[in-house]
Amino acid sequence: MAGYVVRRLFGMIPMLFAITVFVFFMMHMAPGNAIEAMINPRIKDIAALKHQLEVQNGLNLPLPVQYWRWLVNVLHGNFGWSFGQHEPVIELLGPAMYNTLILAVLAEAFILLLGIPIGIWQARRPYSKLDYTVSTVSFVLFSVPFFVFAVFLIYFFAIRWPVFPAQNATGTGPLAGTLLDHVWHALLPAISIALTAHTVYSRYTRGAMLDVARQDYVRTARAKGIREPVIYRKHVFRNARIPLVTQLGFDLGGLLGGAVITEGLFSYQGMGYVTITAVSQRDYPVIMATTLIFAVCVLLGNLVADILNAVVDPRIRYQ
Amino acid sequence: MVMSTPPVEALAANQSAARGRVSKSPFQLALGRFMRHRMAVASVLVLALIVLVSLCAPWLTHWDPSRQDLNSVSLPPSAAHWLGTDANGIDYFARDVYGGRIDLLIGFTDTLLVMAISIVLGGLAGYYGGWVDAVIMRVCDFMFNFPFILLIIVLESIINTSSVWLLIAVIGFTAWPSTTRMIRSLFLSLRESEFVLAARTSGAGAWRIIFRHLLPASLGPIVVNATLQMANLIGAEAALAVIGFGVKSTTPSWGNVLNSSLDYFTLSTEPWAWVPPALLITVTILCINFIGDGLRDAFDPAFDK
Repeated sequence: MAGYVVRRLFGMIPMLFAITVFVFFMMHMAPGNAIEAMINPRIKDIAALKHQLEVQNGLNLPLPVQYWRWLVNVLHGNFGWSFGQHEPVIELLGPAMYNTLILAVLAEAFILLLGIPIGIWQARRPYSKLDYTVSTVSFVLFSVPFFVFAVFLIYFFAIRWPVFPAQNATGTGPLAGTLLDHVWHALLPAISIALTAHTVYSRYTRGAMLDVARQDYVRTARAKGIREPVIYRKHVFRNARIPLVTQLGFDLGGLLGGAVITEGLFSYQGMGYVTITAVSQRDYPVIMATTLIFAVCVLLGNLVADILNAVVDPRIRYQ
Repeated sequence: MVMSTPPVEALAANQSAARGRVSKSPFQLALGRFMRHRMAVASVLVLALIVLVSLCAPWLTHWDPSRQDLNSVSLPPSAAHWLGTDANGIDYFARDVYGGRIDLLIGFTDTLLVMAISIVLGGLAGYYGGWVDAVIMRVCDFMFNFPFILLIIVLESIINTSSVWLLIAVIGFTAWPSTTRMIRSLFLSLRESEFVLAARTSGAGAWRIIFRHLLPASLGPIVVNATLQMANLIGAEAALAVIGFGVKSTTPSWGNVLNSSLDYFTLSTEPWAWVPPALLITVTILCINFIGDGLRDAFDPAFDK
């Protein structure tokens, strides 16, 4: 298992290389750069200043050289300096990752706590009126775009009855609030994500449980006189959770990279929000760092999915 | 002779009855299955209404959805402005009605684009296998490891999209991997079947087998996938617009209308500004998803009870 994990980790390197090369060259192919976005166009002698700043930041070098310098710096743990926020990228991203981690964990917790029990509940009474009703409601919830939920949640729970803060998750600086305060700000965005995303789990859970419930060993368990709740808990659900675990890995990878739209809507200062700001400021070092972190999250998410698969399904063994 | 007549007649009647059932074409059977999905049928009607309203926008309102009128800003609903006006004096009803054109255009065109790319790439990967498959699947993996929305935002900032067609291209060229994978796996399983072997032994080339044999055989799942893809793409476009990365903010689209009313004042005091576009996006996506569900039933012969 350990050998397998190490091999998978090394296997990520070519993919990360390809992604960073792609983003780096695409970004620099566009007209204009961070310097232009930064300096006041009415400054006297703008061309000379621009040239001086470009030389200082190495933006006049050939692109491959620039990429090489970026890569060497990143391997030394230096993600560069944010042109837009005027601070080291790492200090900008640290708190943003912390916020995104809180949002991701909270959202995933809501998704699982809603989706799986609903799926189990449906699987206990399949093809009944209640089952069909819940399925239809899930289908509708699945179709509602999460940003629509977000807007309505903001309207009802932040404006109409101002229970939750609508915006401005506690700043990302060292003076930011306590963990509880962060969680408080993440609640509404997390709910808006979970309201649509949980339906994937309820559907998977229901389907997988019904598949497993047809198996011979379930009939055997029933014939032995084991009580229904125990059959469902110990025999059916234990095997039905295998496909769920795969989905969990994908989800975590995606959520950790930052729920871009949700964070933008709630001005929630996580990775997604930082990325949006960086894109509008053409803040290359930040965009490169967030892209890299996102790709790592997705790849790690896939790896976690495979590992969890082996944990819940003893038939799967990695050599 | 006389004795045997009734059974024969009964048999004949029986046969003609059976033939009456059998003589339904596959299309008619599929249509019947679709019609039994009540929500799907209702969705077709609702969606047709939405499409019709967006197409007939100029006849439904005389207001220009992009002309500002600073003499009448932030008006509440009235007989002249059914849904009031925004902060620039543009009629909300006109923005909503015209907005559907952009959303539906992007959804429809991008679906076609994604399906075209996916059928070619997925078809080649599934038909040839081997290194062709390996290369195409690596590109898919590569695309999957980008966040879809993030990739669009980065691409947009790079090529500075302000035109609808550039946005369509950007969305289209980022959204194809999942469908490509699905078509590849369909073709992978179908290419081992007898009818493909028969086509190959009678000398059919790769393109002919892909487009004339494999594609029609997997039409059902592809059409269902395209429908669901369209719902996704409309949602993605609106989501981008909502955070300000969609079409130009002066172009009326549902996402843009929603985006422009996302301030405390508008949200709290002018529900007529943001509720209609939010509902229009939701209803459109819901209808398309229901139609997809109905098509899934229609293409599934086992669904006939």
